[in-house]
Amino acid sequence: MERFDVELRKVTKRFGEVTAVRDVTLQIRSGEFFSLLGPSGCGKTTTLRMIAGFEIPTSGQILIGGQVQGHLPPHKRPVNTVFQHYALFPHMTVYQNVAFGLEMQKVDKAEIAARVGQALELVHLTGMENRKPKQLSGGQQQRVALARALVNRPKVLLLDEPLGALDLKLRKNMQIELKNLQAEVGITFIYVTHDQEEALTMSDRIAVMNRGRVLQVGSPEVIYEQPENRFVADFIGETNFVTGVLQRAGLPVEIEVAGQLVQAGWLAEGVRTGETAVLSIRPEKIHLLPGSANGEAHQFGTAVSGQVERTIYLGTDTRYLIRLDAETRLVVRMQNTQVGHSHFAIGDTVWACWNPAHARVLSAEE
Amino acid sequence: MTAVTKPTTTILPESRASRQERIKTQLATLGLTGYGILAYLFLYLPIIILVIFSFNDSRSTAQWAGFSTAWYVEMMQDNQIIISLWNSLFVAIVSTAISTVLGTLAAMAMERYRFRGRLVMDAILYLPIIIPDIAMAIMLLLFFNISGIGFNTWRIELAGLRLSVPYSVIIGHVAFNISFVAVVVRARLAHMDRTLEEAASDLYANAWHTFWRVTLPMLMPGIIGGALLAFTLSLDDFVITFFTAGPGFNTLPVRVFGMIKKGVTPKINAVSSLMLAGSLALVLISIFLRRGDDRGGIEIV
Ligand SMILES: Nc1ncnc2c1ncn2[C@@H]1O[C@H](COP(=O)(O)OP(=O)(O)OP(=O)(O)O)[C@@H](O)[C@H]1O
Ligand SMILES: [Mg+2]
Repeated sequence: MERFDVELRKVTKRFGEVTAVRDVTLQIRSGEFFSLLGPSGCGKTTTLRMIAGFEIPTSGQILIGGQVQGHLPPHKRPVNTVFQHYALFPHMTVYQNVAFGLEMQKVDKAEIAARVGQALELVHLTGMENRKPKQLSGGQQQRVALARALVNRPKVLLLDEPLGALDLKLRKNMQIELKNLQAEVGITFIYVTHDQEEALTMSDRIAVMNRGRVLQVGSPEVIYEQPENRFVADFIGETNFVTGVLQRAGLPVEIEVAGQLVQAGWLAEGVRTGETAVLSIRPEKIHLLPGSANGEAHQFGTAVSGQVERTIYLGTDTRYLIRLDAETRLVVRMQNTQVGHSHFAIGDTVWACWNPAHARVLSAEE
Repeated sequence: MTAVTKPTTTILPESRASRQERIKTQLATLGLTGYGILAYLFLYLPIIILVIFSFNDSRSTAQWAGFSTAWYVEMMQDNQIIISLWNSLFVAIVSTAISTVLGTLAAMAMERYRFRGRLVMDAILYLPIIIPDIAMAIMLLLFFNISGIGFNTWRIELAGLRLSVPYSVIIGHVAFNISFVAVVVRARLAHMDRTLEEAASDLYANAWHTFWRVTLPMLMPGIIGGALLAFTLSLDDFVITFFTAGPGFNTLPVRVFGMIKKGVTPKINAVSSLMLAGSLALVLISIFLRRGDDRGGIEIV
């Protein structure tokens, strides 16, 4: 049986009338960079706070290193937190901040000095020991917060939007640094963010949350390429949703959109033939061919015909808005690989084609 | 063809409308300055006169007869005044110490815990600030009578003097000072970032260590501010002390009151100037501490 560093079993948390987290089950592997991703208010922070011990679940269980945590207070759990606004102790120096956790664990003075030194070296802050947090830049404070947590060598490090307060450029740099750091120390990271790009670039696995529920868990690639519901497909990257009627539930899945029958490679559970469903396909997975290239278009697997309604030149690629019928449009992204070659003009009749494996039919709800 | 034209640098005369507005602004500034000066004179002139006449070389408090420190010397030699000064200090120190601890604890309870009857407790805690001193004094007097505390005294030797301070006065001062300390500390507590305490507990500190290492240091400016306020109020108090002192016990304000009944002399001015200087010193200390607070980075963004 696989060992998990952290497990949540049917965890629910209610604050009075509000259900912040609803029946969440998660298994986080040892050494993994695991992200909780979702919009504001979806329950990411609450989930993290329950793991840390700041909140006790209304129902369900949390296990850390195989041990049921129950009502254990934060100081008795083998995890450390990096807070969104760092929560550095303003009346202590950098050294005192980083040494705090070790002092509380009654580590002896010489070892504290050695380990604080190492931790500060790890985050490139050697020489700043005697500064107060106020005398540091945002990025440096962030590093102190990291060192203060890592110095304790926790099993699991919990990070609540740790880069949220930094400017864009610093954030990009810190993303890389954090990822390298995690590889270096080998500690399990549970990382909260509402920035999908950040989650995609940093994580081994992502749990996408909405309204207190976990909607899908998987690697960045799985989350992006194989979204299982509308919310996940919509929240991560850009996608086309085209409403239609399901014609065939077996493979290849067939759905009628804008009066034309197209194929897809996956069907969400619970959608039946004859019911309304949604075809989901990413703009870059669609290829455009001239209306005359009839045979070629159908070699792609599936194709719909439409007119170019608008084109937007974006440098590396061009976006096309394709009109299928009065209500239905498709966004298509084509790479500009050839010099001086503008593919299509407004008003052109085109075939929009794709490999059915890239298209998914999702439930019309959520 | 493009001709290069030099930009014109001629200064045009000021317009009528602009001039009118300029003069209006100047008049307004002048008027407000004058008003400000008058307001300050009204507030501080009596104090200045008091201090000046404490150095008067005459019994008169109305006619200047030259500079002298005789009244201060006489004040220092008046045993009654010296004893009442030490009484004041003793009561202030003891009541401040007690009320600072109790007030801080009360503030923490009110701010941090939700318990049944909290709102009522909250209102009661602040009552002493609102109700008139005289009502409070009479209530306390009744309480001391009924409870049997009476006017029993605490006898101590201080600076070579034998003081006997009624417990009732100390308890009375504690009773009103708790409220003031609690208000000041609570303001600080409300602004304090609670995630700091969470961070401490996340870093293996139990409740006890979290309190001593994080909460208390963060609250310190508020606690010191509350203590200074309590100390000042205790030194200044007249009504409650007067009613709860019983026979023969004087703090400085009570002593001054007794002297005034026999006529105002520059000696009273000297005592008052001394009290004024003490209060000023306390204010300066608190301002100084607050500045240190800003520099020291106790506040966080
Ligand atoms: N202590 C609390 N008392 C009452 N409601 C709470 C409390 N903490 C969180 N909530 C509610 O629970 C829900 C989830 O909050 P949470 O802070 O977990 O969201 P989040 O995903 O971290 O959002 P964000 O990205 O904005 O930080 C919200 O609706 C919030 O209002
Ligand atoms: Mg949050």
